Amino acid sequence: MSGGGPTGSAPASQQRAEKSRMEAASVPARAGRRGLTDSARSFISRYGLIGILLILPVAFGYSDLQREGDLSRLATNLKDGLSNGAILALVALGYTLVYGIIELINFAHGDVFMIGTFVSFGFFGTIGLTLATGPLGLVLGLLVTLILAMVACGTLNVMIERVAYRPLRNAPRLAPLVAAVGFSFILQNVGLLWLGGSHRSVPDLINSQKQLFEVAGVPVSQGDILAVAVTIPLVFVLAGFIVRSRIGKAMRATAQDPDAARLMGINVDTTISFTFLVGGLMAGAAGLISALYQTDVWFFAGFTAGLLAFTAAVMGGIGNLKGAVLGGLIIGCIQQISDNRIGTEWTPAIVFAYLVLILVFRPQGLLGEQTREAG
Amino acid sequence: MLRVRFLAVATSCCALTFGVAACGDDDEGGGSTTAGGKTLTIYSSLPLQGASRPQSEDVIKGERLALKQAGNKAGDVRIKYVSLDDATAAAGKWEAGQVSANARKAAQDKNAIAYLGEFNSGASAISIPILNEAGILQVSPSNTALGLTKSGAGAEPGEPNKYYPTGKRTYGRVVPIDTIQGAAQAQYMKDEGVTSLYVLNDKEVYGLGVAKNTEDAAKKLGIKIAGTDGWDGKAPNYRALAGKIKASGADAVFTGGIIDNNAPQLYKDLNAALPDAKLFGPDGVATVDMTKEIPPKVQAKTYLTAPTVAPDELPPAGQKFYKDYQAAYGEAEDQIDPYAVYGYEAMSATLAAIEKGGDDREAVIQAFLDTDKEESVLGPYSIDEDGDTTLTNYGAYFAKGGKLVFNKVIKGQTS
Repeated sequence: MSGGGPTGSAPASQQRAEKSRMEAASVPARAGRRGLTDSARSFISRYGLIGILLILPVAFGYSDLQREGDLSRLATNLKDGLSNGAILALVALGYTLVYGIIELINFAHGDVFMIGTFVSFGFFGTIGLTLATGPLGLVLGLLVTLILAMVACGTLNVMIERVAYRPLRNAPRLAPLVAAVGFSFILQNVGLLWLGGSHRSVPDLINSQKQLFEVAGVPVSQGDILAVAVTIPLVFVLAGFIVRSRIGKAMRATAQDPDAARLMGINVDTTISFTFLVGGLMAGAAGLISALYQTDVWFFAGFTAGLLAFTAAVMGGIGNLKGAVLGGLIIGCIQQISDNRIGTEWTPAIVFAYLVLILVFRPQGLLGEQTREAG
Repeated sequence: MLRVRFLAVATSCCALTFGVAACGDDDEGGGSTTAGGKTLTIYSSLPLQGASRPQSEDVIKGERLALKQAGNKAGDVRIKYVSLDDATAAAGKWEAGQVSANARKAAQDKNAIAYLGEFNSGASAISIPILNEAGILQVSPSNTALGLTKSGAGAEPGEPNKYYPTGKRTYGRVVPIDTIQGAAQAQYMKDEGVTSLYVLNDKEVYGLGVAKNTEDAAKKLGIKIAGTDGWDGKAPNYRALAGKIKASGADAVFTGGIIDNNAPQLYKDLNAALPDAKLFGPDGVATVDMTKEIPPKVQAKTYLTAPTVAPDELPPAGQKFYKDYQAAYGEAEDQIDPYAVYGYEAMSATLAAIEKGGDDREAVIQAFLDTDKEESVLGPYSIDEDGDTTLTNYGAYFAKGGKLVFNKVIKGQTS
């Protein structure tokens, strides 16, 4: 049996010593490989994501340059995407605010937005806003409608929190989730009773698709201006409010650690209600913009918009305000490019494929989660 | 205490939800069931919720008028008329589960002798096999999709045989099929100077079929096809799609689909992106509701076809129908939906078949398939072996002042 393998004939103690030497020798090599993998993963996470986001625009931009010699069609897609995405961003803010503070996916939020579109549509008729209304009357009327839609949706959202979510604050996490789905159906049915099951045309009060000016071959319409002009100030006001105001700080403290916040004298229930109020206000504003921009309201619109807005919030990093806005704008752009270049039947698949890819490369979303789970 | 309050609210909400759901229940119309003689039931299944409701209501009025004028009888048989709703409030249009439930209701009724419906071809694709197995005559006042009765361009693979599991035909219609409508549409486009056409469909059985038939007919007349696409009835707007069509250089767009699939929004967005393009639509959008929902500048570019011609283009029986209808229901002539007369004819032809076949379902079906009328509200026609009418007239319409305005008669030439 002499001349056997190195471990075959050696005593057991010698084998163990040999094994431990080999393991010790392999540690730096594995660490080196792991380090390499981590840095590759980090590189892919940082730059691969940018690559993924740029796949469609670069591919179609190249195609446009080859065929038409300019990028105006792609720029028009992106412009339309930004104005559509601005509406989604406002809705996404409500999802992200609520998730950030109580870690609940408020499935009813999209339907609160739908109620905002209905309130706006109904109030146009109540105050007699028609195509014949003069510019001053129109601006004043729309301002009043904006306030009313925001207040209505804010109040509704607070009531939902008070009735459905607060009693379940300490229940298993599935319970408020089911309550949210239930409220989503209730609001859909309210919409159904209110205006029926068909799409309803809204008077085109702002002449939404009238071209105002053109920049480098990209037509900019009145609807585009409205969407951006209402969304940007609201987002800045909201961001400033959360960073600087006392209640905003309380919201952030509650989001980080509700028990510690309570110990520091913060009324957590009031703070959570306030968060729902703010989310509802944003949904109301989005409701008015949507009614004017799309010139169409439908009881089911909240489901579709809510799904996309929630996707936007996850894509941007749930709980992250800037992330929700960025996610909304990106989804708006993907939708427009897909609708315009690939086909409307593929759009939902493409949007969600993007979401999956982004989450594979960056599970915390584009700008990172800001939740208790994420730290 | 909180839990009790929550439960109370939850219970109220459930009650509200069920209450809303109950609002979508079937509407059961009256009928003659007086003593003496056999009483059989004719079911009608049409969408009574959503954008198609006004259209369906006029069809039902037409059906009721025919039944009333026949004294609620077909020969010696007394007829009970039951109106069912194939739409749900939540869908806002016909819904597969509801269609299936309606067809099963008729199939399980031993007194059922005929079933008038569905309004939409996609819905009939669901009810035909159920009624075929039950051996009940089904007559649609409005289905135009080719594949329900014939194979060929515009039909899906396996059509129409997959709808008839017994191998026998039990379905027929009194409205011309989409190969004829497609030909009429193409002729209308040619007459209006269209040279390049973009073809859209709403991805339903009817929309896909009529779009394909129109595309084929347009090619035959030398109209260039700039592109084809589908539209999503749930999308909030169609600006990107309209932009794509604009880039194709088309001077007209054909929208194969139904009003319930957000057609007014599609027309608004198409007009905004292509203000000079003409917008053509088939009978699925040729409704009074459609013309009311689109603004005047869009109406001015809208050209529609429907299988109905103006009352004064109809034979004397057809003109009498319009007078009787107005007398019975007090509706102005221009407010009567084009399909009301088809509701009347569907009922008349069915009553004639029952008069010949009595309470024998098979004999009634055969009698309907043997229909050969020298006189009807639609003019002389017969039913071929597939269950299709030999009528070919299509009405070309404008949209003006929120109404459908008759333009001219176009004969659909399929060869």
